[in-house]
Amino acid sequence: MELEEFRSGLDAWLDEQAAALAPSGAVGSLDDEMAQLAKVKWATFDAGWMRWGWPERVGGLGGSPILRAYLGEALTARDLVNAGGYSMTEVLAPTVIDYARPELAAEMVPLLLRGEEMWCQGFSEPGTGSNLAALSCRAVRVDDGWRVTGQKVWTSYAQYAARCMLLTRTGPPESAHRGITAMFVDMASPGITVRPLGTMHGGAEFCEVFFDDVAVPFERMLGEEGQGWSVAMDLLPFERSTSLWHRGALLNRRLEQFLSAAEAESVGASEVGDVFLQLHALRARSRSTQHRMAAGERLGPETSVDKILLATAEQSLFDLVAAGLADDVLLGDDSASERWRAEYLYSRAATIYGGSAEIQRNIVARRLLDLGADA
Amino acid sequence: MDREELELFRASLQQACSSHTGKALDDALDELGWRDALGVDRRAAVSTLFELQGMANATSSALDAIMGRALDVDGPVVLPPLGSCDQPRARGLGTFAFANSKPDGVTVCPVGGIDPALGLVEVTGELQLASPSSAWPDAVAAGQVALAHELVGASRAMLQLARDHAVERIQFGRPIAAFQAVRHRLAESFVAIDGADGAVGAAWEVESPMNAALAKAIAGRSARIVARHCQQVLAGVGFTTEHPFHRYLRRMLVLDGLLGDARTLTNQLGEEMLSSRRLPPLLPL
Repeated sequence: MELEEFRSGLDAWLDEQAAALAPSGAVGSLDDEMAQLAKVKWATFDAGWMRWGWPERVGGLGGSPILRAYLGEALTARDLVNAGGYSMTEVLAPTVIDYARPELAAEMVPLLLRGEEMWCQGFSEPGTGSNLAALSCRAVRVDDGWRVTGQKVWTSYAQYAARCMLLTRTGPPESAHRGITAMFVDMASPGITVRPLGTMHGGAEFCEVFFDDVAVPFERMLGEEGQGWSVAMDLLPFERSTSLWHRGALLNRRLEQFLSAAEAESVGASEVGDVFLQLHALRARSRSTQHRMAAGERLGPETSVDKILLATAEQSLFDLVAAGLADDVLLGDDSASERWRAEYLYSRAATIYGGSAEIQRNIVARRLLDLGADA
Repeated sequence: MDREELELFRASLQQACSSHTGKALDDALDELGWRDALGVDRRAAVSTLFELQGMANATSSALDAIMGRALDVDGPVVLPPLGSCDQPRARGLGTFAFANSKPDGVTVCPVGGIDPALGLVEVTGELQLASPSSAWPDAVAAGQVALAHELVGASRAMLQLARDHAVERIQFGRPIAAFQAVRHRLAESFVAIDGADGAVGAAWEVESPMNAALAKAIAGRSARIVARHCQQVLAGVGFTTEHPFHRYLRRMLVLDGLLGDARTLTNQLGEEMLSSRRLPPLLPL
């Protein structure tokens, strides 16, 4: 399946299915958002679209990952899914495919693709934000597997998740990145408690997750014992490739909606033009990343550039929105205003989550500019 | 051109740009067949030469060749005054090539200004063009993409100078590249260049006057970001004429002004978006 064929076929199918796929009523709560996401994933999997770009051994139909980039873009541009929740698949599924036992990947990945399950990513901890290698959630080896005790935080959608890709400390505390092991954990396991965090944008997307002597069988390891750092490092470029293309599509969609909603005299032309320049540069950059990935190139630290462009553009866009739609963002209580406000506030975190703006610039300085160690 | 040919082509252009500028570079380009390459592989010819020219702070009349190709004229092309993209009627600018071929009824005056080494001229008079002006937008687009490459090249050179300085300059007992404030300025420059590079690449992948103007605007915008951060990192030495930085700063400012500076293009883009209430066509995947 080539991109052109996929694009025209999918577009026609989405037009035809528009009514069936549309959210039933206003998508306000996170529950609604998750239900809508499951509905759209199920329908697109059932019709085959969601299966393209994934290997056949995990229920896919093969073909280039560029098809996945287009699917997410098309769904986002039609406001059928929220790019954030949708793109979790793009971050977690490739890692499970690469590191889980083949039978486990074959069993689990289709559940995620067709929207039967949501998964989450247990990386950050209260004492481990930017310094991921210092994580302390402890896994102890017993006869039949691991016993995990510790806490994760900022775990997106954990309250909806059936599985968690978890990083644990299996080496001694001072083993840093060498003593980390990745596991694929059932969230229904006894001993797991999820507590959603209230956040300023309103949706309780981020959670704290507590692990109290949780049993994880050996066959649920992703990679080998002590290989967790490689798993994490291989996952991070996925956060900055296909999912960034989807997020960029969302930002273009919002700029378009802003143009039709704002009073022309309330915003400066140069500010509007500048936001589009940033989105265009991001899209051009991300486009070449999609093509590199499709050509089988291994993605690495250069994807930090994509993330920096995205975070900067996202904040510029919503600065413009907050100025041009000030009545809505600051005072409005209707559902459109609430969405603008939530997305404005969420954009403030774009330079914090997924590797902060500072960490991304450190990566560029160290790995791409070869500036050596910092002070 | 295949990979090997491209590498050879690039190496000979690099040699030409680093040892010649102006008329001498034009001669060198003729000798190594750059014009023929322009006919065979336009993207390789334009992107390679202009980026190297920008990096070397060299100048040639290749812009005339590129725009002339779109206009179907041989010889120098009258460029619009700074900030404008409209076809000039009574007053415009030109490359140094005008000095040798003065058309009738046209006055050519050398421009000194902030970057005398660029060798621009001011052209006044009855600027009748043989070609129909319907080709003008394509000529502007072709010129904008070339200038965007040159701006990216100049930006890369500024970053290279600042990066080398930061690694070598010792203060407080360590290279200043060890300090995060310095590292982040260099990282910011790197990101700006990659963003511009992406936009210029996209202008070739999906050729349109809009994508060319976007590439030019982004390249100009990013060159200013790069110049600001790199000058700060280079600090005192970068302010002297003993260091090459000032040449790139001068060049970048004038290149940004040719065929629409970033500020003007951005403002025009915003006005169009506000009046149509639509986005320009998005790049397809």
